[in-house]
Amino acid sequence: MKLSCLQENLAKGLSIVGRAVATRSTLPVLSNILLATDESRLKLSATNLEISVNCWVGANVTEEGAITVPARLLTDFVNSLPPERIDLSLIARTQTLNLRCGRYEANIKGIDAQEFPIILVPEEDKASQFATADLAKMIDRVVFAAATDESRPVLTGVHTELTPQGVTFAAADSYRLSVVSSPIPKAPAERISIIIPARALQELRRISGEAESVTMLVSSARNQVFFRMPEVELISQLVEGTFPDYRQIIPTTYNTRMVATTADLLQALRMAAIFARDAANIVRLQILPNEGGMGRLIVSATSAEHGDNVSELDVTVEGQPIEIAFNVRYLLDALEVIDTAQVALETRDPTSPGVIKPVGGQDFVHIIMPMHIAR
Amino acid sequence: MAEPQRWIIHVDLDAFFASVEELLNPELRGKPLVVGGAPGSRGVVASASYAARAYGIRSAMPVAQALRLCPDLIVLPHHFEEYAKRSAAVMAILHEITPAVEQISIDEAFLDVTGCERLWGPPVEIGRLIQRRVRDEVSLPVSLGIASNKLVAKIACDLGKPQGLVFVPTGTEASFLAPLPIERLWGVGKVTGARLRRLGIQTIGDLAAWDVESLERMLGKAGRALHTAALGQDASPIAGHRERHSISQERTFAQDLGDPEALGRTLLGMSEDLAARLRERHMVAQEVRIKLRYPDFRTITRQVKLPQPTDQAQVIHAHAAALFQKHWRPGERLRLLGLAVGGLLEGGGYQLDLFADVDKRRIRLNRALDEIRRRFGPEAITRASLAGRRGRRGD
Repeated sequence: MKLSCLQENLAKGLSIVGRAVATRSTLPVLSNILLATDESRLKLSATNLEISVNCWVGANVTEEGAITVPARLLTDFVNSLPPERIDLSLIARTQTLNLRCGRYEANIKGIDAQEFPIILVPEEDKASQFATADLAKMIDRVVFAAATDESRPVLTGVHTELTPQGVTFAAADSYRLSVVSSPIPKAPAERISIIIPARALQELRRISGEAESVTMLVSSARNQVFFRMPEVELISQLVEGTFPDYRQIIPTTYNTRMVATTADLLQALRMAAIFARDAANIVRLQILPNEGGMGRLIVSATSAEHGDNVSELDVTVEGQPIEIAFNVRYLLDALEVIDTAQVALETRDPTSPGVIKPVGGQDFVHIIMPMHIAR
Repeated sequence: MAEPQRWIIHVDLDAFFASVEELLNPELRGKPLVVGGAPGSRGVVASASYAARAYGIRSAMPVAQALRLCPDLIVLPHHFEEYAKRSAAVMAILHEITPAVEQISIDEAFLDVTGCERLWGPPVEIGRLIQRRVRDEVSLPVSLGIASNKLVAKIACDLGKPQGLVFVPTGTEASFLAPLPIERLWGVGKVTGARLRRLGIQTIGDLAAWDVESLERMLGKAGRALHTAALGQDASPIAGHRERHSISQERTFAQDLGDPEALGRTLLGMSEDLAARLRERHMVAQEVRIKLRYPDFRTITRQVKLPQPTDQAQVIHAHAAALFQKHWRPGERLRLLGLAVGGLLEGGGYQLDLFADVDKRRIRLNRALDEIRRRFGPEAITRASLAGRRGRRGD
């Protein structure tokens, strides 16, 4: 293998595949990045067996070949090189990769490319297509709600349903649920329902920045999903199991509905969060209707040791007065991904889920279970 | 309504052990003496009289080193019983002034005398009263610091030693602290001190003049806390005021018990009682702890942090039972079984579960049970598996 490429391009390619490198694996080759010539490009691959990323970098290839080298070592070395041409050549006998850039040179000992896992890419027929900007926004609205602990593995994934009408993503931990839907430029003819690891979608969000659109393919065995962009490919295992029937959880009625200015509510909650830090993050919302659909929202947080904070907002209220407590972090997580000027909170009673919706957007709904308070 | 002006008094007995020794043996008065380990051994100075301190002898210094500084030094063994007796007498005086006493060691305490003016006069008068009573009734020298918070009161007390009374009026905390070396601040040890000095921060005033953001960048969260402290601000309450941090229950068995079912029932019963007590106090717990004592008095405690705070017996019992399963080997007999809930949050709450509708039903059930117990007494209602438990206790 013999090729040359630009330092900037190689560094960028390495940062794209870098997060897919296994950090704690018993298989040494998984800590490596696969470098392989692919026609007139250099293909970089990394995998932790759950998520795999391929990235192509423009190169001048004079001799075909492939090698895997330790990801950290290669990335750190390339990042510290000047933005010039790098010549790479493989010393096949010792499986050593030689890199030269100006007056700098390094030899990195590798592992035979044959040992690197092969990831098969399926046919294109069931492809869906997303506009990257829309996809990024949808991912932002659901991934934070996915569970981070493994006690219920299905909840670490994002339930993804593709229909001819578009896509619906849903994620939940035991305390909150986020559901976002959107039509997409190209939808599959049949309904597909899978669970994608939240981590894979987060990674996709990070590396899809420059592509205008993303093509998604689901393997016919329904165990892998592929995201393809012009220079980058992400392949993820799917989460096995049955996602809870979340549609049943979304309340269809309410006794109180409040509409607030998103920015004002965010500000009041951020303030309350400071005081709630030492008090299990509890924030109390008192929704008080006045005449004519108007009303007040009183946001308060109390720390037994450090003091309290109260904010009052003018809001519109429909229905009964209510006092309900939430984990303020959950409220903030949800409000931070709402981009409409106004936001609605609907609920039935202090122990029923709070439903948060952007006002004027039908595509996003977020459910948060309240906190039970002792008094 | 405006908050009342807060007044905290820090009380610290001067060279406590050494002073008690002088009291026990008046001939020693005024002589360099220390209380500590025997000089041949690896003993250190526990307390040094002021006469000894004049030689540069300090607490925690090896006795051998102290003897090099002052060859005439009198080294006395501990008389802990005498110290404990005097300490209790002093604390009793403090408790007569106010119930808000936080004893931090055998010879040190904080008093919150906020609002005590009507009863005892202004804070400085209260200070003089304490000093006079400790001298007259226990015959011991004591120093006091009086300020609007614990941090400043303690530093004021240290500065006035021995037999001092230093009063820092409200609003002058920062200027009072400003000229002092940074090591006077609680939390500034050798390492942080050296680090701050490298930044050109010599005095507490230097530290207060820095901007919080830079301190936070360099020292992390501690940077912000140090800055607040350097300004003489401290909102920490007197611990004597605070709610208890755990509630516990123990059962000592009339005969050592090894029957898993009986032990399991004991745990369930205690879970019920503790949960009811939590709800009664409007508190939730974040920890569950079990205590096992074996016939040979060997005792272990094991605890687990709950994923969510709770006041529900079922949750407490589930974690207690899991801990018990993990640490009790079948066949082992127990002399005592204890259960405690800790990490208590006042008026706290816990997160309801999205997928568990049972949560709500459980809360309603427990509320009903509590109401029945409140009206008809704790024995009025119990779980079927516990029926007979309470009755048997009286057998």
